[in-house]
Amino acid sequence: MSERTLNIAHLYPDLLNLYADRGNILTLVQRLRWRGIEAVVHEVTHHDQPRLAAYDLVLLGGGSDREQEIVGAYLAKHKDEFARAIANGLPVLAICGGYQLLGAYYQLPDGRKIPGLDVLDMYTSAGTGLPRLIGNVAIETEYGIVLGFENHGGRTVHHHEPLGKVLHGHGNDGESGFEGVHHMNVWGTYIHGPLLPKNPQFADAVLATALAYAGHSPELEPLADDTEALARRAFLSRRMPDVNLSHLTNDSTTEHAKTTQQPS
Amino acid sequence: MLGIWIGKLVTWLLRMRGMDATSFPGKIALKVSPRLIAWFGKRLERVIVVTGTNGKTTTTSLLAAMMQHEEPVITNHKGANLVQGIATAFLQHTSWTGRLRAKTAVLEVDEATFPRIADSLPIVLIIVTNVFRDQLDRYGELDVTVEKLFTAIRKTDACLVLNADDPICRNLGLRASRKTFYYGMSRDTARTGLRRQMRDGQFCMNCGHELTYDGFWYGQLGLYRCPACDFSRPHPEFIGVYRGKSLTLREQEVPDIELTMPVQGLYNAYNVLAAASGARVAGLWAGPIHEGLADYNPPDGRMQTFDTAAPVTLNLVKNPTGCDSVIQAITSEPGQKLVVIGINDLAADGRDVSWLWDADFELFAEDEEIVSFITSGFRAEDMALRLKYAGVDTSRIRIIEDMDEAVAAAIESAKHQHVPVFAICTYTLLHKTVHNLTAKARENERANAEYRASVS
Ligand SMILES: [Zn+2]
Repeated sequence: MSERTLNIAHLYPDLLNLYADRGNILTLVQRLRWRGIEAVVHEVTHHDQPRLAAYDLVLLGGGSDREQEIVGAYLAKHKDEFARAIANGLPVLAICGGYQLLGAYYQLPDGRKIPGLDVLDMYTSAGTGLPRLIGNVAIETEYGIVLGFENHGGRTVHHHEPLGKVLHGHGNDGESGFEGVHHMNVWGTYIHGPLLPKNPQFADAVLATALAYAGHSPELEPLADDTEALARRAFLSRRMPDVNLSHLTNDSTTEHAKTTQQPS
Repeated sequence: MLGIWIGKLVTWLLRMRGMDATSFPGKIALKVSPRLIAWFGKRLERVIVVTGTNGKTTTTSLLAAMMQHEEPVITNHKGANLVQGIATAFLQHTSWTGRLRAKTAVLEVDEATFPRIADSLPIVLIIVTNVFRDQLDRYGELDVTVEKLFTAIRKTDACLVLNADDPICRNLGLRASRKTFYYGMSRDTARTGLRRQMRDGQFCMNCGHELTYDGFWYGQLGLYRCPACDFSRPHPEFIGVYRGKSLTLREQEVPDIELTMPVQGLYNAYNVLAAASGARVAGLWAGPIHEGLADYNPPDGRMQTFDTAAPVTLNLVKNPTGCDSVIQAITSEPGQKLVVIGINDLAADGRDVSWLWDADFELFAEDEEIVSFITSGFRAEDMALRLKYAGVDTSRIRIIEDMDEAVAAAIESAKHQHVPVFAICTYTLLHKTVHNLTAKARENERANAEYRASVS
């Protein structure tokens, strides 16, 4: 048995799994396992009661508007519990629909408001007649460039730090030039694809935060992220060549990418 | 009659413009004459229905081709299995005076559509290929499907031809209480071990206890039994012995028939077995069964085989559910193999490749018979990453962006290792790859002919 164990909760995988959140969970579990750290994944379905005190990291994924409404209703019962846990530093990674649910509400095109957890000073509105914001996306963050795919009708406005600055794509509202949110140990983003496999430094930052929250050493020995680096570079050069490669200088995977020859 | 004229007129107009007329004429005709299906039903002698989750298109085509050698048969166009598609099939075989040109119909019917037409047609035989649980079955979709099938069966006096290896089919057979014939694979070809392939536990529909398996073929198909009650796999009347290129059909008190598989893969062996069993029950002898199989032209990218220097089997994938059945089919193939996966992200493929993470590539990681992987396409690296996280050691993965080059490299290395290649690709890589492999197969044939000429 390993000395460090991390309890990861996947909230409502039965309702919110539109954008392959399974890939995010898999990335977290494998990156721990490869370092000999045990991960316990709690799949919290809508039949279960979330037990926030038992988790070291919570993942809230994306779903359709209808599913989000159902989840919103379930979460409403645990609003205060969530607010307290987040204030205590519970790490939460919220993606797409899950990101929207962190705010006060999500206003549908017909004007109806789906209430959110209201743990962040934030709201989302689908607007009327506005196009969906779809496509490949790259943002500059404190964890290097985070990249993936976005597909959202909602425009999110908040008064916290963003996760990053948009280099390519739309971001929170298609106008501000910012994407996602980072407040306390909460990260929210529209980026899926899924998010974590191709953004290993970000995945490790989330894991380190969760380990520290769990009372363990946040030390993570480096992994051979060659395949990750190849995937990042190929994706940028083929799909977002406008993202200046000089942005990659802060990118810890750059060196790997340069030295790893693609086998042919 | 008005509906028929309008339907035929619409068909004629669409054809004039070179447009697809597989469903639309029926849709319009049904608007005018809502009881059109029943009208046709009165003029038919017998209808055979093929339904189920996977393989109904192939099974229907195979059975219709076999029956065609005995008498004219009405059948619906590939995959046009909703009411409008069925009405269109009837329209195409009707004269302007309303006379049907055939008395027998072999129809592929969608499970949800089936109850709506079951009492309108003289259905004598119902073949259920399987009832699979898929990605979308998070909200009890499977139970709804089973209930629809049961409702439809009860509306008819038909005999059933069911997959003995599928516990859900078996349950249908037990509940329907009527003459039922089962088909299944030979016990000794079932695989043991590899229990992890049974992802979602299968539960007894009698008592709710988890089923145990003495062996399995793929998905939930296997030698199942319930440890808590007497629910178990029945002994099939029609037994298939699948050996790659051929399928032996074994029946009691009848000599075995050796059938040539027109298309590869275990799941196609099930389709051939279902069609041949249905043909037998409908009274066909071996001749038309062989001839029907020989007539069959498989569509591109469905376990399509090419006789290249190392044989290549090509599969199209579009979504996680379809991808899972392809992964299952490949891992079910006996022997070692090399796997090539080409993933593009153009508009027709879907620009978002998130679905790769929902598909069950873990099955590939668990299959020790796969000697190596080559990933290809515009998202070759993403695919390699997916395999890495599925648990494949990266030393076993090569990345070759160009699909033609990837296929060439795969054939070259498979040839030396004497193993076959299994290729998977997304839509925009399919036609180019089919083209490339067809040329390579021709080249190989020529080389072999020259070799034979020089040694003789
Ligand atoms: Zn039982």
